[in-house]
Amino acid sequence: MVASANADLESKMANPKNWAAQAGDMFNQRYSKLNQINASNVGKLQVAWTFSTGVLRGHEGSPLVVDGMMYLHSPFPNKVFAINLDTQKIVWKHEPKQDPAVIPQMCCDTVNRGLAYAEGKIFLQQADSMLVAMDAKTGKVLWSTKNGDPKLGAVNSNAPHVFKDKVITGISGGEWGVRGYIAAYDINTGKQVWKGYSVGPDAEMLIDPNKTTTWIDGKVQPVGKDSSLKTWQGDQWKIGGGTTWGWYSYDKATNSVYYGTGNPSTWNPAQRPGDNKWSMSIWSRDVDTGKVNWVYQMTPFDEWDFDGINEMILADIDVKGKPTKALVHFDRNGFAYTLDRVTGALLVAEKYDPKVNWATHVDMKTGRPQVVSKYSTAQNGPDVNTKGICPAALGSKDQQPASFDPNTKLFYVPTNHVCMDYEPFKVEYVAGQPYVGATLSMFPAPGSHGGMGNYITWDAGKGKIVQSKPEKFSVWSGSLNTAGGISCYGTLEGFFKCVDAKDITKELYKFRTPSGIIGNVFTYEHKGKQYMGVFSGIGGWAGIGMAAGLEKDTDGLGAVGGYKELGQYTDLGGSLTVFALPN
Amino acid sequence: MILRTLSAALALVAAAPAVLAQEVKTPLYTVVDGNKVDAKTLNGFRSWRQANCAACHGANQEGLAGPSLVERMKVLSKDDFVKVVIDGRIERGMPPHKDAPVVTKNIDDIYAYLKGRSDGAIKTARVTGIE
Repeated sequence: MVASANADLESKMANPKNWAAQAGDMFNQRYSKLNQINASNVGKLQVAWTFSTGVLRGHEGSPLVVDGMMYLHSPFPNKVFAINLDTQKIVWKHEPKQDPAVIPQMCCDTVNRGLAYAEGKIFLQQADSMLVAMDAKTGKVLWSTKNGDPKLGAVNSNAPHVFKDKVITGISGGEWGVRGYIAAYDINTGKQVWKGYSVGPDAEMLIDPNKTTTWIDGKVQPVGKDSSLKTWQGDQWKIGGGTTWGWYSYDKATNSVYYGTGNPSTWNPAQRPGDNKWSMSIWSRDVDTGKVNWVYQMTPFDEWDFDGINEMILADIDVKGKPTKALVHFDRNGFAYTLDRVTGALLVAEKYDPKVNWATHVDMKTGRPQVVSKYSTAQNGPDVNTKGICPAALGSKDQQPASFDPNTKLFYVPTNHVCMDYEPFKVEYVAGQPYVGATLSMFPAPGSHGGMGNYITWDAGKGKIVQSKPEKFSVWSGSLNTAGGISCYGTLEGFFKCVDAKDITKELYKFRTPSGIIGNVFTYEHKGKQYMGVFSGIGGWAGIGMAAGLEKDTDGLGAVGGYKELGQYTDLGGSLTVFALPN
Repeated sequence: MILRTLSAALALVAAAPAVLAQEVKTPLYTVVDGNKVDAKTLNGFRSWRQANCAACHGANQEGLAGPSLVERMKVLSKDDFVKVVIDGRIERGMPPHKDAPVVTKNIDDIYAYLKGRSDGAIKTARVTGIE
């Protein structure tokens, strides 16, 4: 164990001229200390340069910037470009050879959420599950290792994350009955160091029944033996989901990696009675051993596809008046959770969209949501269309990461304002075949502003919305806050927007990029000048109809019904737009 | 009550009029009230749904990530249909279904159901059985 193994990455992150990790740091705060672009001059931003990836389909994540080089990724086929920021020349380019059979195995578009950097290496998590390390200077492949079996639907869309001397990655495929896990690989050799499953026997989850804790009866207590197995019927856990395709964070002080697990498979709850632990949960694992410190399940027995994979943001804030080492998480289920990241204690769980209706509240003693029968797809049963559930399966927020501003102590959250009808039906498991079992249709939250999104500020210590700025479509782009007092994000129509961090209803700048934005805003400095950038390229779940050639509007798996108008605003095309102030 | 029956022969008229005489006995599907169908066609709907075709073609078959089946079924012959479904069109995102028993076992019923949708005889994607 080399304590200094991440010193290189830490020093790169400490220099705000770089954007050395997908969130800029290991806390997932998405905050930059750069302040050349600020609330008083952001209105003068101009496009400095643009770059096409040559790939259509959804562009999520963001490029990295390390010591004057920019590293860009693309959706499948997962191209990587290294661009010298002095010359703007492509120094190297890498296009992996992947079996196109992986394309139909990728739920919700062939997105990729970006690269990781450490110690002169670039890490790429390919769609076909190969994890690859490349020399950052030359693009030469140093090692590659297989992380899953794409023939069984175990594919990857997540960004790899480097913490210490390990690169951590997860797996997708909850819609294929993949049993989720998270794994750590040695950054120098690619050798697997540990792997922890989300469901199943204690030993395979790296859970110690006596030491691993959870929230029981108002306090943190050991989970006990077979905490997962007891909550599944028969062998259903073997195809039980709990995949891990979100953003992970790391705290040096606790030496823990924090992340969330996704939905239990299938979407038809009748086929998997029980709490389905530990799908839909927040996890803390020791980064060196993978052992589980604590785990908390947000949505026991999911009936709505409310994946719990969204990012865990670590911040030291006052919670109910008390200084706390907090973990803040905006879940797909519409509740925002504040936990003590050291102990795993549940501190706050409140709705961050007032339209959320599937549960009245989270019981703080049991930690369980109080489900409203009318919106329970399990109580209503298979082949019954449960109508008007808020939020929709894509959640009050999906993977699009929020930012934390240490100046205002607020969270800036890109949200969806979408509801759904959900009809589960019986589905048979066949290895490598879709294992979905529900038909959905989605629409803008009724009785509201008519749009499908809001950009909000959130007080995680109190569990309250501070401000809410309506948006026509879901805000599917990761936000960024800076020391310049601004908060920036993209919209599905393609606007790059910056608002005043102190009053987000004040739009200070907007620019129409070539396509809808589902990428994350990032910033860097080069030769004394601050730049801000974002990928555009519509796709992902919100734009899937568009991403692959929609002919007519429909409700399909759900994503397009509410988004049919999007076609009037944007079309496919992956590119990077970089902004700066005029000279 | 509207009773509409379409024979396989009728469906084949355009493609192969010569077989008309011997095919006339087998109705491809039967629809009542636009949304009640015979057992085989109902099985086709259920198989279609279970195979998650809606993820790409839309719950109403009008297209999503994949093309509109309402339109495509007007163009594809039964043989073309079977070939595309079984072998897939990987480069366009259509997976092969040769290893999906729900598809291989029920492909004739799926064809009947989708043909009924494409013909406009089955008015809603969601159907029930004729009582």
